[in-house]
Amino acid sequence: MSCLEFKNITKAFSGVEVLHNISFGIEKGKLFALIGENGAGKSTLMKILCGVLSDYKGSVILNEKKVRFRNPREAENAGIAIIHQELNLISDLNVAENIFIGREPVNVLGFIDFKRMYTEAENILAEFNFPYAVKTKVGSLPIGWQQMIEISKALRLKAEIIVMDEPTSALSESEIKFLFKQIARLKEKGKTIIYISHRMKEIFEIADEAVILRDGAYLGTYVMSEIDQKFLINKMAGKEVGTNNTKPNLISNKQILSLESVSVYQNRNQILSELSFNLKPGEVIGIAGLLGAGRTELLKFLYGAYESDFKGELKFRNDKYTPHSPSKSIKNKIVYISEDRKTEGIFPELSNLKNSSISILASLSNFGFIRKKIEDKTVLSKIGELKVRMNSIHQHIQNLSGGNQQKVLLSRVLLVNPELLLLDEPTRGIDVGSKQEFYNLIDKLKKEGMGILFTSSEIQELLLVSDRILVLSQGKQTALLETSKTNSREILNFAFKETLQ
Amino acid sequence: MKKRISELFAKSDWIKPVLGFVVLFILCAAFSPISSKGTNIFLKFDNLSNILRQVSEIGIISIGMTLVIITSGIDLSVGSVLALAATLTAFGVMDWQLGFSLTIIVALFAGALAGLINGALTSWGKIQAFIVTLAMMTGARGFALFIANSNSRNIGFGEAAAPEAFKIFTTSFIGIPFPVFIFIGVTIIFSIVLRKIRFGRYIYAIGSNEEAAKLAGIRVNWVRTSAYIFAGILAALAGIIHSAQLYQGNPNDGIAFELDAIAAVVIGGTSLKGGKGTLEGTLAGVLIIGLLSNILGLHGVQKDFQLMLKGAIIVAAVLLQEGSFRFSFVRK
Repeated sequence: MSCLEFKNITKAFSGVEVLHNISFGIEKGKLFALIGENGAGKSTLMKILCGVLSDYKGSVILNEKKVRFRNPREAENAGIAIIHQELNLISDLNVAENIFIGREPVNVLGFIDFKRMYTEAENILAEFNFPYAVKTKVGSLPIGWQQMIEISKALRLKAEIIVMDEPTSALSESEIKFLFKQIARLKEKGKTIIYISHRMKEIFEIADEAVILRDGAYLGTYVMSEIDQKFLINKMAGKEVGTNNTKPNLISNKQILSLESVSVYQNRNQILSELSFNLKPGEVIGIAGLLGAGRTELLKFLYGAYESDFKGELKFRNDKYTPHSPSKSIKNKIVYISEDRKTEGIFPELSNLKNSSISILASLSNFGFIRKKIEDKTVLSKIGELKVRMNSIHQHIQNLSGGNQQKVLLSRVLLVNPELLLLDEPTRGIDVGSKQEFYNLIDKLKKEGMGILFTSSEIQELLLVSDRILVLSQGKQTALLETSKTNSREILNFAFKETLQ
Repeated sequence: MKKRISELFAKSDWIKPVLGFVVLFILCAAFSPISSKGTNIFLKFDNLSNILRQVSEIGIISIGMTLVIITSGIDLSVGSVLALAATLTAFGVMDWQLGFSLTIIVALFAGALAGLINGALTSWGKIQAFIVTLAMMTGARGFALFIANSNSRNIGFGEAAAPEAFKIFTTSFIGIPFPVFIFIGVTIIFSIVLRKIRFGRYIYAIGSNEEAAKLAGIRVNWVRTSAYIFAGILAALAGIIHSAQLYQGNPNDGIAFELDAIAAVVIGGTSLKGGKGTLEGTLAGVLIIGLLSNILGLHGVQKDFQLMLKGAIIVAAVLLQEGSFRFSFVRK
């Protein structure tokens, strides 16, 4: 029996339909993986379920009653909670205050009843064997436990259906194992879980059934034990996903970039020390490292986005080089894409066209006047090349899915005709199909003779795409490895090297 | 058809304020008092051109204000800069005998300098625009009072007085006062700047996402400072017109003009969060305020009631443009 049913759900944003007539049911006490490529409609559907979007056609049926939540609070009261990819915790408040935020128990005078709050919080957390005091500030907890606080929030609301959006994206292996144990517990208690993830391994590990969406349409629900990974990927992508072959594609022995014991300082604090490597045209160097290893700092330093000093010898195109500012870097054909699309990438209120052309407007204009036709043509051809899925170039970029926004940002930097491409976590939050497209693109850019530095938290991806891998640990270079002669274990060892001491 | 209309609404930010203006115009015409001869007083050419003359000062200020607000800033100093420029103009043509062109250049330069200081302190000094321009609002007013020794300076003509050329600001061409032409000209120039010129695009980009703009290679500090400089120059231009129309430079004039300008910009659909807005909208906002004061004045409605209504209109205009109200307005 279905405890939750979607019936003919159709949703449009500014006249564009993103969900087409979606109907399916979900049974109580099971874990459903909701999967689909970026832009398939997963987040939109969940926003409808959780009351973030209330303006849609069709109906949501909860326990055989038709519901339409006008805001998240109504959904929570009906027993539906969502745990977002980005944790919604206030780091300066303590654990109990976070669990009860907005719903604090009060005494007759309207003051917060702290005693009751702390005991109730302790009771909830006792189930997870929570090792900290409930008065601990959330900001000082490890990220895995912060996630458990979010789950506790859901439990405190007596949620029966819990939506988890990419809950493992910030977790380490052991934290993931821990999370899965807790999820199993929730299932034992009869909670229904909708689990969104791009990680196939996890889905097969914990899901009972998979609901597949593609391009805003419902494709089917499958029992996990009856299908395999390839089946799922093909269903999602609608086409066979090939494997990538990376071979070094060195055009010449010229060097684009070379660092000779470079140390970088910011406000007199050393943030990177003793880096030595060089990059040739047509070469891809992947940068591995744990959180805080200095990957982003390295790329931003090279791009001139930091106010910083450095010691050592830095050469660009065989000339001495000092990174100055992003605008100078772009003139020098050095480009950068931030790991944080939302706060450092897109202009949400502007169109795809304007987002794409912004860095090359000087070359598109005469005496400051933008030549509209040339701008349209230039952007259209690049956006077509990258196969961005959009309604029109005049659509606001914020209406695109994350993966397609990333493609527009790629078009922005590629229009510069860069020689050196600095990519910070370019595949974060991107689905399997788009990732493959991205790998193919990197391959193509290599052949065109671009030098590429990119970071990734997924070691498999670094091994797949790079020619060499630079490993950073606590701001220090711990290894520079030939991809063909290394493996993930070795890379991890070097990544942990400085943190173990 | 329904879909096309909703797409049009979604695409063009200026449609709603312009539509609001049109509706208000029709209402004004319909509810206008009728003269004894049976003519519609509101629709009389003199009345309409009078409205335009009355709004042109605030209108010119609002253009600069729009630029600054699109960068997600604010300029509270425009009223004081207007007073400073008006004072400088009066002293320039009368006491200092600088002549027509040089006086105007001095006044505009003062505006540009105020804008430069505003922009530089916000950009490189990293002080909030609200505070920087609040300080400039006080400082520029003080400087104007200092120059004028706290009195207003009358502008006279004739022997050893203001040059005859200065009268251009009070003459009319084909029945339309000269300041209106300046207002229209400036509006056209800056709507081209915002639409077609690189600088305009950068202004939107900065307001939309400053960090992304920096990383995309835009020299954010320079672009932002330029926006404040334009706001200063336009406020000074309005000040020159102001003094010419009143035949005096009064350092106490222009108080709360910045608030009227902000109101017009907001009614015109520009978001105080930045990244969004058009001069067409601002123009509509300016005219909406102008029409309203005019029609209420024609009916003899008192100032107190006018102000209360103006407050209500600002809120209503923003409600119509923002948030959930939009959905019920456009979709159904």
